[in-house]
Amino acid sequence: MSRALALVWLLVVLAACVHVGVVTSRGLPLQTDLMALLPREDRDPVLQRAKDAAAEAIAQRVVILVGDEQREAARAAASSIRDALANAGLLLPGGDVPGADAVKRLGAAYFPHRAGLISEADRRRLLDGQGESLVARALSQVFGFAGMADGRLLARDPFLLFPAFLADLPVPASRLSLDEGWPSVTEDGRTWVLVTGRLAEKSTALAFQKRFTAVLDGAVAAAERAEPGLRVLRLGALFYAQAGAEQAMADSAIVGLVSLAGTVVLLILAFRALTPLVLGVAAIGVGAVTALSACLLLFGELHVAAQLFGASLIGIAVDYALLYFGQMFSPRAEPRARLRHVLAGITLGMATTVVGYATLALSPFPGLHQVAVFSGVGLVGSFLTVVLWFPLLDRTPSAPLGALRRRLAEGLWAFWFERRFRRARAVALLLAVGIGAAGFARVGVDDDVRHQQALSPPLVAQQAEIQRLAGFGQTGQFFVIEGAGDQQALRREEALGDRLAPLVAKGALAGWQSPARFVPSQARQDENRRLVAERLTAPHLAELRARLGMDGPAPEAGAQAAPLTLAEVSGTGALPLLSALVPETEPANGRALHIVTLDGLKDAALVRSAADGLEGVRFVDPTGDLTRLLGAYRHRAVTLLALSALLMVPLLAWRYGLAGALVAMAPPVAAVVLAPAVLALFGLPFTFFAAMALVLVLSIGVDYAVFCAEDDGRRDPVTLAAVLLAMGTTVLSFGLMAASGVAGVRSFGAAMAVGVPLAFLLAPLGGYARPRKGRW
Amino acid sequence: MRGVVLATLLSLMAASPAAADPATLTEGQVLRGRFVQERHLQGFSQPLRSEGDFVLVPGKGLIWRAEIPFPVTTVVTPAGLVQSVAGQETTRLPAARLPFLSRLYAMMGGAMAGDWSALDGEFTVARRQDGKTLRVTLSPRRNGDPAAAALKEIDAQVGRFVEAVDLVKPGGDFDHLVFSGQALTTGAPTDAEAAALAAAGK
Repeated sequence: MSRALALVWLLVVLAACVHVGVVTSRGLPLQTDLMALLPREDRDPVLQRAKDAAAEAIAQRVVILVGDEQREAARAAASSIRDALANAGLLLPGGDVPGADAVKRLGAAYFPHRAGLISEADRRRLLDGQGESLVARALSQVFGFAGMADGRLLARDPFLLFPAFLADLPVPASRLSLDEGWPSVTEDGRTWVLVTGRLAEKSTALAFQKRFTAVLDGAVAAAERAEPGLRVLRLGALFYAQAGAEQAMADSAIVGLVSLAGTVVLLILAFRALTPLVLGVAAIGVGAVTALSACLLLFGELHVAAQLFGASLIGIAVDYALLYFGQMFSPRAEPRARLRHVLAGITLGMATTVVGYATLALSPFPGLHQVAVFSGVGLVGSFLTVVLWFPLLDRTPSAPLGALRRRLAEGLWAFWFERRFRRARAVALLLAVGIGAAGFARVGVDDDVRHQQALSPPLVAQQAEIQRLAGFGQTGQFFVIEGAGDQQALRREEALGDRLAPLVAKGALAGWQSPARFVPSQARQDENRRLVAERLTAPHLAELRARLGMDGPAPEAGAQAAPLTLAEVSGTGALPLLSALVPETEPANGRALHIVTLDGLKDAALVRSAADGLEGVRFVDPTGDLTRLLGAYRHRAVTLLALSALLMVPLLAWRYGLAGALVAMAPPVAAVVLAPAVLALFGLPFTFFAAMALVLVLSIGVDYAVFCAEDDGRRDPVTLAAVLLAMGTTVLSFGLMAASGVAGVRSFGAAMAVGVPLAFLLAPLGGYARPRKGRW
Repeated sequence: MRGVVLATLLSLMAASPAAADPATLTEGQVLRGRFVQERHLQGFSQPLRSEGDFVLVPGKGLIWRAEIPFPVTTVVTPAGLVQSVAGQETTRLPAARLPFLSRLYAMMGGAMAGDWSALDGEFTVARRQDGKTLRVTLSPRRNGDPAAAALKEIDAQVGRFVEAVDLVKPGGDFDHLVFSGQALTTGAPTDAEAAALAAAGK
């Protein structure tokens, strides 16, 4: 019978292998985009599209600043770096800084409409009735040193409003200016030259990241050889992603290697035989293959994070193998007898854990569904392998339990059960309560997504320097403006601008870029024209012309040209920034979608409130949204944790009675509660990742307690020694993650490193629960 | 454009090694004088005439005070250019936004020491001795630079000091500047002058 079942299981496993093999040969459909793990905000597709457009515009840019004390050397290096990137096809042609020709086209597009175009500061002065100050400015530019007065310009624009408008255009990189074709800035005797462009491929593609940085590194190294004092600064999502991936890989390689080597050494030392190791690996391998096959059948694809996390959950299955092989140290030499002795424990352990993981499927997060299925199926697969195959393959003879392990196991049993340790037990419990209270008093949560990623510190420093030198201050937050058409959107931006201007004065932000600042709404253009006519031309023009000695008829003031449109200005191709700010212009469903980007944001709350009460204006904070999402994930994980603990009770109650079930649950629940408190005492915050680790701690802790309960009062050191070994391997494989440089992984690892040993130390308490007769 | 005008003026005022008896300006000296500026603009029947005084402090900057017909003070320092009318700032151009300006500042150092080779990089320099007067003509060397392209030619007459300068723009506009009453003193600028330079250098 059992041979037949083992054979059936073999067929199932083979089928899964073939399935996975076939799919893999066509290329495993692995999803790597982290965003795919998050629930899409499908409630608001407009916002989503605007976000995508804005995020894309930011993520696809690279900025490289080349600095040297010799201007020519900096320019030559910038040129060679740009050429290297362009020749390798890594940057889109055209670049994103307008050339001199494009600027000329822009001027030509603006000039006929100048009557309606005035700078924000000039407009403010006219509104405040300070027309004289504009007269004074015009006179000082004409009569002052090195004036820019141009006869033809003065005739057409006597108040010189048009140059002021052009100077006020909200171009980013406000400190750079064109120096013989290169955007440059000079500071402390060093000339910095800007190389910038849009990436030819997605900045998230690993292969592209590698190619790009390889070419750039090569070009920079060559330039540095030619000019040793050269400095090159980089800014762009690509560099962060590349550095992050590199670190994560190096990280997981080291952690993985140490943990693998440690586990192998531990198992060989413990059993002094290879069979347990080989069969343990087989159990996990079968679990992983069946899980992968099931997920591919169910979802059609698999997220790489779900796979990694799910695989770690399956890692628990090695505990069943360890409990089985722990029987090596008992007098039971016959494999069937060994299995029979542990079957109840591992069955109950498996059942409670699967219940625990199943709750993950109740969450709205697509990533957790995959984790639930992957780990649930995998766990059952590993369990079946232990139960069906181990007795047939196990040839190990019995062996004596090592003296050290025996003493440890006996000591731990004695501590929780013998009368002479009553006081010590009371002290330990008080201590636990004290630690819990002290820890919870300082438990802090941290959902900030920026803390969970490991941003390369040198890149952060370079970003700060570039932002300071070039005046690039663009922040990740922005406004999304929706309008029934471009005109309405522009008017809404102007209303927003009227609120942002005082915030700039207050220092809450350094500046902003909106389509309306490049092309005012028709209403604003009409208003400007009227303001100039009524408050400047009518009262002051005659006087100004007299002081300048201008004779002849005044040129007709406004040149009643039609108002300037967005399309006219975008059409010059001189303002790639403007195109990025207008992801959807009018023809799209008769609706317009604009973006207002922000520079040097200091007080996000204040700036966010600027949108209050403005229709069609929304503040978007993608990082903040992710942070809020992580917070939601964390809440969800804690709820799921509580729910899975509740769901485990009926299973345990069936075996141990309700009181027994509560006793068996006490050690894992205590470990789950104490772990964050202990972490808090070490100053570690509670994160979503720590919460996920606690889900694992609960499942593992219940396993340990169940194994002890199944000991049925014998206080067999063999049982506890097997649990000790299980704890050792778990801490080796998960606890080591606490050494990772990636904060999220570190948080997960630390919670495991604390929670699992706690669960082990408390596990013998589960021995107070006894199986009821007649169940199995 | 402002940078060209400024730096050229400053360097010309500084010294001209070929002149008969050129004044050489060094740090710790102050040059003061008066100017008359005639701005000839297309479409204007009369030139725009202004006059006032100036103070040049090597290494610190230049204060250019027009008094007639419109009082406006321009202060140029390595940090940039600031204009003010009756104590109210009307224009401020940081040098960081004008690399050409800062670059010419660097060249000024050379010109003050009588080294015209730095200017050679940007301009073609032609010198012609005309009796006691040296005539210097500067033409921008590169066509690509929008700043340099804003000027077609600079003509200067140099005696002991720079006596007159013509700045010719491509469109036909030109400025004619005449200097007088120049006096070179050794010592620090006055407190008021130092304060004006410091305020503009912020």
